[in-house]
Amino acid sequence: MKKGMIKATGPAERVVHWCVALSCLLLCITGMGMMYHSLNFIGTLVGGMGNLKLVHNFGGIFFTASLVCTILMWWKEAGVFSFPEDAEWIKAAGGYLWHVDNVPEVGKYNPGQKMFFLTVALFGAGMVVSGFIMWFPLGFSVKLVRLMYVLHALGFVVIFAFFFIHLYLVTIGAPGSAPAMFTGWVTKAWVKKQHPKWLKEMEKHGTLVVSGDEKTS
Amino acid sequence: MKQELVKLIDLSRCTACRGCQIACKQWNELPASKTHNSGSYQNPPDLQWNTWTLIRFQEHVDSKGTLKWLFRKDGCMHCTDAACAKVCPTEALYHTQFGSVSLHVDKCIGCKECIVACPFGVPKYDETTNKIYKCDLCYTRLNGNQPPACVQSCPTGTLQIGAKDAMLKKAYSRAKELGGDANVYGDKFVDGTHVIYVLPEKAEVYENLPADPKVPLSIVVWKDVLKPAGLLVAGGVVAGAFLHYITKGPKTPDEETTSEGGKQI
Repeated sequence: MKKGMIKATGPAERVVHWCVALSCLLLCITGMGMMYHSLNFIGTLVGGMGNLKLVHNFGGIFFTASLVCTILMWWKEAGVFSFPEDAEWIKAAGGYLWHVDNVPEVGKYNPGQKMFFLTVALFGAGMVVSGFIMWFPLGFSVKLVRLMYVLHALGFVVIFAFFFIHLYLVTIGAPGSAPAMFTGWVTKAWVKKQHPKWLKEMEKHGTLVVSGDEKTS
Repeated sequence: MKQELVKLIDLSRCTACRGCQIACKQWNELPASKTHNSGSYQNPPDLQWNTWTLIRFQEHVDSKGTLKWLFRKDGCMHCTDAACAKVCPTEALYHTQFGSVSLHVDKCIGCKECIVACPFGVPKYDETTNKIYKCDLCYTRLNGNQPPACVQSCPTGTLQIGAKDAMLKKAYSRAKELGGDANVYGDKFVDGTHVIYVLPEKAEVYENLPADPKVPLSIVVWKDVLKPAGLLVAGGVVAGAFLHYITKGPKTPDEETTSEGGKQI
């Protein structure tokens, strides 16, 4: 590890992140293969539409487990807004959309990230519940199952759209972010730019871990 | 479209002989299921994966206190705007050139969405094969210019099949002839069904027959709104992200920029 990098995530966080991310992606792709007739060819890749349904259904179980870990792991840090700084950050749109002289400083997770987390948690739970009922529709009332179809499709619209926002920001939209979920180490400049308050907090509480320091060995 | 066909079921002529029920089983090689006496001639009690048509028996007391024994041949209505075909993810359920709704059994993945979507409760699931089954209006017979097996077997003229216009004309003149509450059922909803009843009583009277069937609103929202929205919204986000990148630009850490030289803005 290059000297002077700052530790942003632990291995458990990264494993859970990729479990939920990859299973979510798998479910999006297999689900779209069933929702859109023009994408039925995705079924061919796994040996037919019947298998595609199986991959989607059992992939859902893996997603459920990952989602539970995700919520348990990040609820305290990313599930609760802290005022007033989060409200100010939202008013300034984090400096992402228009010119802001001084972006309000927020902690480890900015309100945009918190909203993304809450969307994944809330709609993810909706997908789990509706998906399970769609898997075994004959055990439930027709009215309920029909409602679940709507919820499942709505969840897809929201999660799929958010996925692209997430993808944009961690690649070219906010360069330097992606390493947090690969190696776990980010540059000090990045932390200063994205999460200045978090940096100050860690410095104040002595929890900052810098590569090359005695602490890391 | 070759020719839109309509099967006319004139219930005023039905004697509940159940010849159609048996003929359907015979032609489609559907096995019988073990059943029990539920105190009615109606047997099996409902449509099954292997019972695609069924005579329903109903004791009805009308407003004058008269007891009537109503018979109704139940089965797929072959909707033009068919909810089952609309939701089917694999296009296993499809419209034929006759306007009927047929089934590619090999394409069915047993997702059961058609069962939930159908306003008439027609498709039924078979656990053994993990597929759904329903009446296909004897598609193979129609292709051979033969009437469906049920129509062929009907001894009373309750069942007829023919061109849509001719059958509708027949239905309306028969309803007029019968008078009273007699009415035509099927041409006014889901863009017209390809099975039309002449009902001697009002539609509300019949058990398991919705008076105003339609493709459920939830199914319309799902397939006509949210399904295209999934791609449109995601496309909008990708376009928006690109616009953001080329107008506002990324949020880059300061180490990668320089303040030396040039003009500050």
